[in-house]
Amino acid sequence: MKKKWISMILSAAMVATVLVGCGGDGQPAAESPTQPAANQEAENAGEESAGSETANTDEKVTLTVLAGQSTTDAGIEDMIDEALAEQYPNITLEWECVDWGNDFQPKMQQYMQSGLPDIMIGKAQDVATYAPQGILGEIDSTYLDRGLDAAKTNVTIDGKTYGLVYNALYQGVYYNKAMFAENGWEVPKTQEELQAIIDDCNAKGITPFASHMVDTWSIGNVTMQFMMNDVFNNDAQWGDKFRAGEVSFSDDPMVQTAYQYNKLIFDNTYPETFSTEQTDCDAKMVMGEAAMKVSGSWSIQNFLDIDESFDFGIFPFPNQSGDSKLIFEPNITVMTSSASEHQDAINCVLDVLTGNKDLAVEIYDYTKTASMLKDVSPTFANPSQTDIDKYAADGMIVDVTLGNNQLVWGGFQEENAKDIVAWLQGDATFEDALAASDARVDASSAN
Amino acid sequence: MKSKNRNTMEKSMEKQYLLLVLPGLIIFTIGLIIPLLLAFRYSFTSWDGMTAEKPFVGLKNYIDLIKDSDFRAAWWFTIKFTIGNTIIQNVLALTFAVALDSGIKAQKIYRTAFFVPCLISALIVGFVWLKMFSNVLPALNDLLGTSFNFLLFGDGKTVLSGLLIANNWQWVGYWMLIYLAGLQSIPSELHEAAKVDGAGAWSRFINVTIPMLAPAITICVVGITTGSLKVYDLLVSSTKGGPGRASTSVIYQTYATAINGRQYGYGSAMSVSLVVVLLLVALIQVKGLKSKEVQQ
Repeated sequence: MKKKWISMILSAAMVATVLVGCGGDGQPAAESPTQPAANQEAENAGEESAGSETANTDEKVTLTVLAGQSTTDAGIEDMIDEALAEQYPNITLEWECVDWGNDFQPKMQQYMQSGLPDIMIGKAQDVATYAPQGILGEIDSTYLDRGLDAAKTNVTIDGKTYGLVYNALYQGVYYNKAMFAENGWEVPKTQEELQAIIDDCNAKGITPFASHMVDTWSIGNVTMQFMMNDVFNNDAQWGDKFRAGEVSFSDDPMVQTAYQYNKLIFDNTYPETFSTEQTDCDAKMVMGEAAMKVSGSWSIQNFLDIDESFDFGIFPFPNQSGDSKLIFEPNITVMTSSASEHQDAINCVLDVLTGNKDLAVEIYDYTKTASMLKDVSPTFANPSQTDIDKYAADGMIVDVTLGNNQLVWGGFQEENAKDIVAWLQGDATFEDALAASDARVDASSAN
Repeated sequence: MKSKNRNTMEKSMEKQYLLLVLPGLIIFTIGLIIPLLLAFRYSFTSWDGMTAEKPFVGLKNYIDLIKDSDFRAAWWFTIKFTIGNTIIQNVLALTFAVALDSGIKAQKIYRTAFFVPCLISALIVGFVWLKMFSNVLPALNDLLGTSFNFLLFGDGKTVLSGLLIANNWQWVGYWMLIYLAGLQSIPSELHEAAKVDGAGAWSRFINVTIPMLAPAITICVVGITTGSLKVYDLLVSSTKGGPGRASTSVIYQTYATAINGRQYGYGSAMSVSLVVVLLLVALIQVKGLKSKEVQQ
């Protein structure tokens, strides 16, 4: 009988423990906003006001932040915390930093079921994915007006802006300026000119391109660069037409050309590219082992960390028509939850991000990225800035969000890149890779 | 009267057992059974994992699975990885266990050295071997003036070998300990009797050791097989399923499809198919191997 009672008490205690564990959210109710599920958020979306009032400074507020970061962004959370503590000491941020490429979308999917964080930091293309679900709050114009007008274009849906674009990356071909000068190479504008440089490199025993194809994302990234200039440059609605069945990867010579550029890189890079990580690849570039690298601003941090005097420039990867544009990508994009109970506190954070110029400069200098705020410029010496300014002055810059919104990264570009690798490695034919992209049409759009 | 008392006692015991099992059953149900049933339900929908609507599509996902060449490729890789692991790990673990059981010197040091890798997370193991194959071993090549191809993760044709090396390095010590425990529990009289009957070392190993090790073999084979069929974390930090799709396992493909590809319904169908295969494999192996076990 005694044993029976003991077993019953133990069982009851264990069950109670389980139920308590299931019921609580693990955070003090006063500090953590309770949020309804995605559908509830959708209902609430229209009711939330994006006022610009500051938070009640007597009340301590903890905001949850999901930050989908690129490799260059890791560490900015400490800078923001520090600036926020000075301006709004009663507001603290509870950060959850994840890799944007691999983990941001899974986390968002999870939180859409259990309740979104107050603030989400992703990329501009995320707005097109999540805003139509009705879960994002509109950003107040007070803070948007502190940013460049170009920052709003691809984060505005039906006249409402759901993302605050904070910085930007440029993508194209980084080149070793000293090596180019030494060999008398001019920045190529056409495929023929690029091929001439490649041939000269090979003749002189220089590796034309540094690459790190072990990272499949790098192949997906450069493929979109190629497609922007050879496909979207000619047909801005190509992705929509693809879904409508009007064009396809298998039939469109422009897309096939864009895919073929991967082969050009693969044939003119070092043989161990599928075992070379980004840091090693960037080091090879800085050490003068390769002449060019198709990449983005995320490489600058590595370049300058390895050798702060490394002199490099950037040019757009030449397309078939010789009118390639430098790729511009809005990067850190702040989004807010439409269901957050702490809109005032969120606005305080937006105020710090957009109003604190010292913080902005600190972040831009650290990430080696371009500013998307008015009257704020990074102070780090960016050797490629003169090239960027030249292309900007000539109107030769294009926002890659156009392509990324039509052909999404997760589930489409990312998967296509795997097929391109299989083709490059001889495990699939070129036609197989194109057909696989066509077969993935249903996954090409976020909505 | 005696029989009635026994029945009452048995019923009372059964209730106690039930009470003791209940907490575990609740946790198991919440953590495994309910998600499994939900996955089964979602597998008949085209849910993207984000919207509230979960449109019913019947068996479409399962029909699509049969036609999906990426999913078939993922299965093919998983099967090769599983077979390779099951053979190599069992053979190596048993060999090491027999060697350690033979009374060699510094047995404890060897045992610890073999066992330590399994204490490390598979994510770390993947990263360690990525660095080994990409940086450390090629540097050794440079140092020694040799030209061995250590870039195993960089080619679709060699990536499986690289992963088998990494996985076996991690787990051989663990299974070795199970075999070692089995070897040490074999009564020495059996070996002595066989020796008296004129059996040689090999004959004793085949006719005495192996049959007596059958329960350990069952545990190791089923454990290695089901563990290999579920490989994921090792791939995340080493090959990311590549190059291309050359090392994409079923779970990796399921995750990429359901989460990154926003095809939760289709991904659920993939996971249901994996569960069915896992159950079948475990059932067949347990049934087959149990029939060969010898009672001591």
